[in-house]
Amino acid sequence: MARDKEKRICGQVVAEWRAFLWDPRTRQFLGRTGSSWGLILLFYLVFYGFLAGLFALTMWVMLQSVNPHVPKYQYRLLTPGLMIRPCAEGLDVTFNVTQSHTWEQHVRALHQFLESYNDSVQAARNAACPAGRYNEQPDDAVPNYPKRACRFERSRLGPCAGLGPHGDYGYGSGRPCVLVKVNRVINFFPGKNKSINIVCAAKHEEDAALLGPLNLFPPNGTIDLMYFPYYGKRVHVNYTQPVVAVQFSNATANVDHHVECRLNAAGLRTDDERDKFAGRVAFRLRINRE
Amino acid sequence: MVKKRSDVYSVEIYGTKDLHKTEIEDEEEKHKEQKGNKKKKKAEDLKKELDLDDHRLSPSELEMKYGTSIDKGLSSARAAEILARDGPNALTPPKATPEIVKFLKQMIGGFSILLWIGAGFSWISFGIQLAQGVDSAFDNLYLGVVLALVVILTGIFAYYQEAKSTNIMASFSKMIPQQAVVLRDAEKKELPADQLVVGDIVEIKGGDRIPADIRLIFTQGCKVDNSSLTGESEPQSRSCDFTHENPLETRNIAFYSTTCVEGTATGIVINTGDRTIIGRIASLASGVGNEKTPIAIEIEHFVYLVAGVAISIGVLFFIISVSMHYKILDSIIFLIGIIVANVPEGLLATVTVSLSLTAKRMAKKNCLVKNLEAVETLGSTSIICSDKTGTLTQNRMTVAHLWFDNQIYSADTSEDQTTQPFDQSSPSWTALSKIVTLCNRAEFRPGQENLPIMKRVVAGDASETALLKFSEVILGDVMSIRAQNKKVAEIPFNSTNKFQLSIHETDDPQDKRFLLVMKGAPERILERCSTIMINGKEEPLDSEKAEAFQTAYMELGGMGERVLGFCHLYLPEKEFPETFQFDTDSMNFPSSNLCFVGLLSMIDPPRSTVPDAVSKCRSAGIKVIMVTGDHPITAKAIAKSVGIISATSETVEDIAKRLNIPVEQVNRREATAAVVNGMELKDMSSEQLDAILREHSEIVFARTSPQQKLIIVEGCQRQGAVVAVTGDGVNDSPALKKADIGIAMGIAGSDAAKNAADMVLLDDNFASIVTGVEEGRLIFDNLKKTIAYTLTKNIAELCPFLIYIIASIPMPIGTITILFIDLGTDIIPSVALAYEKAESDIMNRRPRNKRRDRLVNQQLAVYSYLQIGIMQSVGAFVTYFTVYAEQGFLPSTLLGVRVNWESNGINDFEDSYGQQWTHYQRMYLQWTGYTAFFVSITIQQVADLIIRKTRRNSIFRQGLFRNKVIWVGIFSQIGIALILTYGLGHVTALNFTPLRFQYWFVAVPFAILIWVYDEIRKLLIRRHPGSWWDKNMYY
Repeated sequence: MARDKEKRICGQVVAEWRAFLWDPRTRQFLGRTGSSWGLILLFYLVFYGFLAGLFALTMWVMLQSVNPHVPKYQYRLLTPGLMIRPCAEGLDVTFNVTQSHTWEQHVRALHQFLESYNDSVQAARNAACPAGRYNEQPDDAVPNYPKRACRFERSRLGPCAGLGPHGDYGYGSGRPCVLVKVNRVINFFPGKNKSINIVCAAKHEEDAALLGPLNLFPPNGTIDLMYFPYYGKRVHVNYTQPVVAVQFSNATANVDHHVECRLNAAGLRTDDERDKFAGRVAFRLRINRE
Repeated sequence: MVKKRSDVYSVEIYGTKDLHKTEIEDEEEKHKEQKGNKKKKKAEDLKKELDLDDHRLSPSELEMKYGTSIDKGLSSARAAEILARDGPNALTPPKATPEIVKFLKQMIGGFSILLWIGAGFSWISFGIQLAQGVDSAFDNLYLGVVLALVVILTGIFAYYQEAKSTNIMASFSKMIPQQAVVLRDAEKKELPADQLVVGDIVEIKGGDRIPADIRLIFTQGCKVDNSSLTGESEPQSRSCDFTHENPLETRNIAFYSTTCVEGTATGIVINTGDRTIIGRIASLASGVGNEKTPIAIEIEHFVYLVAGVAISIGVLFFIISVSMHYKILDSIIFLIGIIVANVPEGLLATVTVSLSLTAKRMAKKNCLVKNLEAVETLGSTSIICSDKTGTLTQNRMTVAHLWFDNQIYSADTSEDQTTQPFDQSSPSWTALSKIVTLCNRAEFRPGQENLPIMKRVVAGDASETALLKFSEVILGDVMSIRAQNKKVAEIPFNSTNKFQLSIHETDDPQDKRFLLVMKGAPERILERCSTIMINGKEEPLDSEKAEAFQTAYMELGGMGERVLGFCHLYLPEKEFPETFQFDTDSMNFPSSNLCFVGLLSMIDPPRSTVPDAVSKCRSAGIKVIMVTGDHPITAKAIAKSVGIISATSETVEDIAKRLNIPVEQVNRREATAAVVNGMELKDMSSEQLDAILREHSEIVFARTSPQQKLIIVEGCQRQGAVVAVTGDGVNDSPALKKADIGIAMGIAGSDAAKNAADMVLLDDNFASIVTGVEEGRLIFDNLKKTIAYTLTKNIAELCPFLIYIIASIPMPIGTITILFIDLGTDIIPSVALAYEKAESDIMNRRPRNKRRDRLVNQQLAVYSYLQIGIMQSVGAFVTYFTVYAEQGFLPSTLLGVRVNWESNGINDFEDSYGQQWTHYQRMYLQWTGYTAFFVSITIQQVADLIIRKTRRNSIFRQGLFRNKVIWVGIFSQIGIALILTYGLGHVTALNFTPLRFQYWFVAVPFAILIWVYDEIRKLLIRRHPGSWWDKNMYY
């Protein structure tokens, strides 16, 4: 008895749903007739068309107000970030000296990164700028006039330039190079007219001995002021970002080294608690030998 | 309570004794039918209990049976023993749901389960990420904790709200403990009534509530009001004699919770607590199931709808994100976001607050709501079954008409009369007023000189009270008049001679005659008269004058009034000198050939506010059915005078009388009104009852018992109606429970009725029900607005997730931020909508149809989700893109960046200008984006709040400033947003950042657009009622 009742109720539900899906009597599909569906779809077509148009219009107006050369606000970028190359997952440079496949990717990445730093390219594109001062190029008459970039020749990186047939940036010999670069920020004048440089060291002082001596290229890790300011990718097309190479010439093998590099520039704070990459970069280096 | 009850009088015109037995059997049968085996057993128990034989036993047999002594009572030790065995003499309160169960119900009810799922997913992904060593794993842990907290806090809030409203009721049940005078250890003691045990000897006097079921062994003029048990309104006299086999019929048993109206009595307690007859009935009432309230059904429907949307969108996008090669873990996190965005976390709390605000407002208007949801039920009521006595009427006999000098005079029957306007110059009136004053045993209780006459408490029966108050109003100090006319002899009223007689000295010192005054049933009085007073002169009572008397008597009787005749006689001084000793037993004085003076008729008059309330009900499409134990003529007269039966409508009997044809030949459909006798109702099948309820719009059930109320309620519910029922007696409680909304009387109602009811009417006034209905309808409308307001922004919260998944842009709004909208900025505004005034006269439309008029209908959901919600999303996205563009990320750069954007290791992420960003710099920008999105939604919600004030009328017609609370809402909304943005902008965990001021205004044009669009929508709805637009856009 009870089951019969349930069955009927179940059957009714199915029938109701079927009637809702398609009611042949009123010719309704999902509770609406064809013309009703037509009207409602037309309404939403118009409605959403209008909204899309309005959205497009406001976005267009907004974009008109945006300066294509310099962003309106830069206050989030007061301290530029630092970054390393090769940029492995989790800033972790680990390789085995004797197994070339563990470091070939790093070498490839560095080659690729430094391609545009080739002396020939630099000579062809960029100007030789006077060292030691900002390369300011004010717009005089023509706004947003294309700016010239200063040369940064790859050869300046010495053994870390990766030049020559064995240009392996020291990875093959267990004396790896890591490139440190400062993030591009438009109209950023670091160092208050005094020279700036990159300083690297073991994160914990007690580990310094294990890490061994660090060689910086260009010497002292100096970044010349002529590479600043940056005028943005539209007008400063061939801008070459200055880099500093750090070579770990005698790092103890099979040990995790925590290395930190900072941008040493007057008036630049590098101790932001929250942003671990503001004016500094920390990475792990591990050279495995069998 | 006891004191209050003593001024409750009822109409006593015709006895209803012959009804009781069958009624009680009826009830048993009905319960048997209804509740199957389990209940059958209960009913059997009741029957067994009724097989009392104590009424047959002699006092000495009783002493033996209960081991007590009529002279000494029980010993304290013995009493303590029995008390330990039987328990206290109190009704067990209905089993309450344990608090913890109520609490847990709040924790898993509604959306809570969805949020628990969200919290669960958060913890699972936290566990997985922790195992994988992902830095941001703890974000998910916190999110889970926050979600759990949200559930728990809203649960606690809802629980607290519910507990608060139950507490109001709890205060009702805690009444002053009743005291009883008991004979124990041969001493009279006053004990709390719950200490009584079987075998105790108790004393009762007029005004007391009977403390237990008692077999009377000594009585003196004792009368009890059994109305709360049997529904009969006439006080029943009680004696020590065994008069009937049925314990309910016999005179020598008084029942627990009934009231002793007058006289004194002593008796042996034979049943206590739940074993009393009342206890049995009360436990039966608790067996009638409570049905879900309409608003509970609506909210459930709404929860299903929203949960359905949440789950289907969640699952859909889970599938989409999996097929777009997102990691399963990421997809789960998206799912959490979608659920949180979809669920209006604060809404159920808001609904509770709105309902309790209305409940408070209703309490101020004398409707005390026990169950919050009942607030709305009252609004959807389509039939009100109302008691007559006390609810529609003032519950006191009042003199309505007088007849003397061959003329009928009307008296003022209003509640606060201080004078009587009819012509009082005739000397006949002077004579009549003297009889009325003197031939009356009722007295005011002392110490009430400052109260208005109509409010004073009187010792005496209902009609004597009416006469006493009537004469006090006209003549002033009745007691001193009586003192000046000293009573020398008296024959009280009894049912065999049907008159009352007293003999007085006169207040005229010159006149040494005695005055004999008499009142009683008019025909009996007339029999004893040979003359009649016309304009102060005695004239012989000829057939013409007797005819005039008959006409007047019929006319007054036809109005459903109780008519009394008055006559007097000055006894000749010679035969009855000053020293004459009157003997009422041998009747040594004349009691015939008297002088007829006049007639007075009394009725329990309708409350003055009732006719208006009834007509309001009528225009509101609510059918008012009168259910009364009174005689059909009285019931019909009152029904006509309050408009339950309108002036033009006729009953079948009326038509038959008018057309002079037999009742059977009348076309029943022509009769709009019907007066159904309880006796007819008893023999009716449910189909016949249904036919009556269907065919007649104006129905009066007369001479019904409270038990039959249940049948009537069920009949109404079979018609699909939402039924409100009023009741006061214990026997009403099954009907009160069965009804969609049971309304107990606050003053006259018994505890059992109040327990069973959903609502208590503090002033017992029908008109208060109507104001309650109005509030209930208003809250339904306003809840619609609240829900529409709340649902809208869910789309603006949901769209970011969907676009984030599909277009891989940086996350526009965070889960925590969404919670700050749902539980922060939006709460006060959505409550503020509960204060919105009605758009039009809500009492001019029909009650809502339970099945068709849903709280959340398709139009509401579609309009909120697909129109206003989408507009809000567009506005918020414009703000979002503006913030990013002005910081260096143009919209084109943002598409598809999600993976790199969120990568911890990429700290030289390039923007549209060639600048490079660290991960934290990007995250900070993302939070600024959250804040901007949040602020935009808030700003647009202000517009949403304003448009939701009305559904049809223009905002300008409704008045922007009439509802001040809305502005409190708007300011709170903006204030909270300001605090979150600028005050807490530095707390990273909350993901708010200080926002540049101009971004607050980006969405303003969209807010204005929302307002304008909605005004256009409303305009078109008003202009083209019934059109396609109206059907699709009106919610």
